[in-house]
Amino acid sequence: MIFPAVIIVAGLIALVLILRLGNGHGRSGGNLDELAARLRPIDVDAFRNLIDEREAEYLRARLSPKEFRSIHRERMLAAVEYVRCASQNAAILTRLGEAARQNPDPAVGGAAEKLVNNALRLRLYAFQAVPRMYVSMLFPATCLAPHFIAETYDTMTRQVVTLGCLQHPAQGMSGAL
Amino acid sequence: MLFLRYYFWIAPHLFLGVLVAGFLRRGLQRQLPIFFAYTVFTLIQFLTLFTVSLFATSSLNSYRWVLVCGMGVDSFFQFAVIYELTSELLLSRSSLAAPLRTVLRWVAAVLLLAVAVASGALSQISVERVMNVLQAVDFSSSVIRCALLIVLFLFTRALQISWRSHTAGIALGFGILASIELTGTGLRGAFGSSGYIAVDLLRMSGFHVCVVIWLVYLFLPDRTPAFTGRGLPEADLALWDQELRRMVQR
Repeated sequence: MIFPAVIIVAGLIALVLILRLGNGHGRSGGNLDELAARLRPIDVDAFRNLIDEREAEYLRARLSPKEFRSIHRERMLAAVEYVRCASQNAAILTRLGEAARQNPDPAVGGAAEKLVNNALRLRLYAFQAVPRMYVSMLFPATCLAPHFIAETYDTMTRQVVTLGCLQHPAQGMSGAL
Repeated sequence: MLFLRYYFWIAPHLFLGVLVAGFLRRGLQRQLPIFFAYTVFTLIQFLTLFTVSLFATSSLNSYRWVLVCGMGVDSFFQFAVIYELTSELLLSRSSLAAPLRTVLRWVAAVLLLAVAVASGALSQISVERVMNVLQAVDFSSSVIRCALLIVLFLFTRALQISWRSHTAGIALGFGILASIELTGTGLRGAFGSSGYIAVDLLRMSGFHVCVVIWLVYLFLPDRTPAFTGRGLPEADLALWDQELRRMVQR
């Protein structure tokens, strides 16, 4: 009797979950200005510094093991915060990109498509990177630095500027590309 | 009760016929060919079962054989449709294909292992309660379909991927059907042969709800995400540009 009861409860939980998750998909769209205002600036150089293995080696050589562990934990916590922020920005840029995809100009549509794909890739990397950084916090000897986050963020920045130049040609920023 | 049973048996298939016509009229069979094949198969299966039940009343075995074969093909089709939806939503995006394939492969492998063990436990309860192997397969297929659809919903939500109306409707319908079938398997295990009719009614009503959801999503106007505002203000763009300049100079 217990096993069928477990199946019934599991079925009902699945039903509620599917209804909740499925219902949420109609709520895309929104105010682009509000979305853009939620973007948070990120210092990619500072992030690179936090996950730099040579920097970690330097600190390891000069600090006592206890001090190193404490400093390493602080650095990884800061890096996790950077990754979360980058992932949040990527989510916002996905939606801004989706809005730009509706633009009739094929150049804008193409640039928006690339931005959306790259933003999705960054979010995917972020999901992988955060647990790895927590592992690195517990075991500082393990090298799990997510360099690909910084690189993908760089590419995404380029694509935001490209898209911006195409949407607002008067800005004249194409020289930077 | 007899009217209700006939209603839940016939009405969803009539609606499914309308859905097939709607698909053909809009040319959606080219976009979702597996789902279209599934709906056509379901209609053919219904017509065959209905004919057998009308004209071969003495031969319960023929009816059972058609049902058993049909359920096997039906499960296969449902998995194929889930793959088609995943492919349409996620795998077509080259950057997501590889990691997502790995995640789904692992989820499917773990689930297969879990349901194999669970099916064994289910059949040990009592031979009377579990009619045959088919019910174990049905249970396993419902669990895997539920879990794969939940993973698909979670993935698209986490990555903030928007769904086209009819794709979302198909996934939602299948999800509701799979979870109701799972609940039905549990109820059948709990109440045994005395609850067969009630459980069958529950499952048929689940399929009815599922077809109605597909119809609603097919015939409602496509809900393209509505955006207002201009997006990135030019001042913000200048900041992104400065960042890019710094990168280029590095």
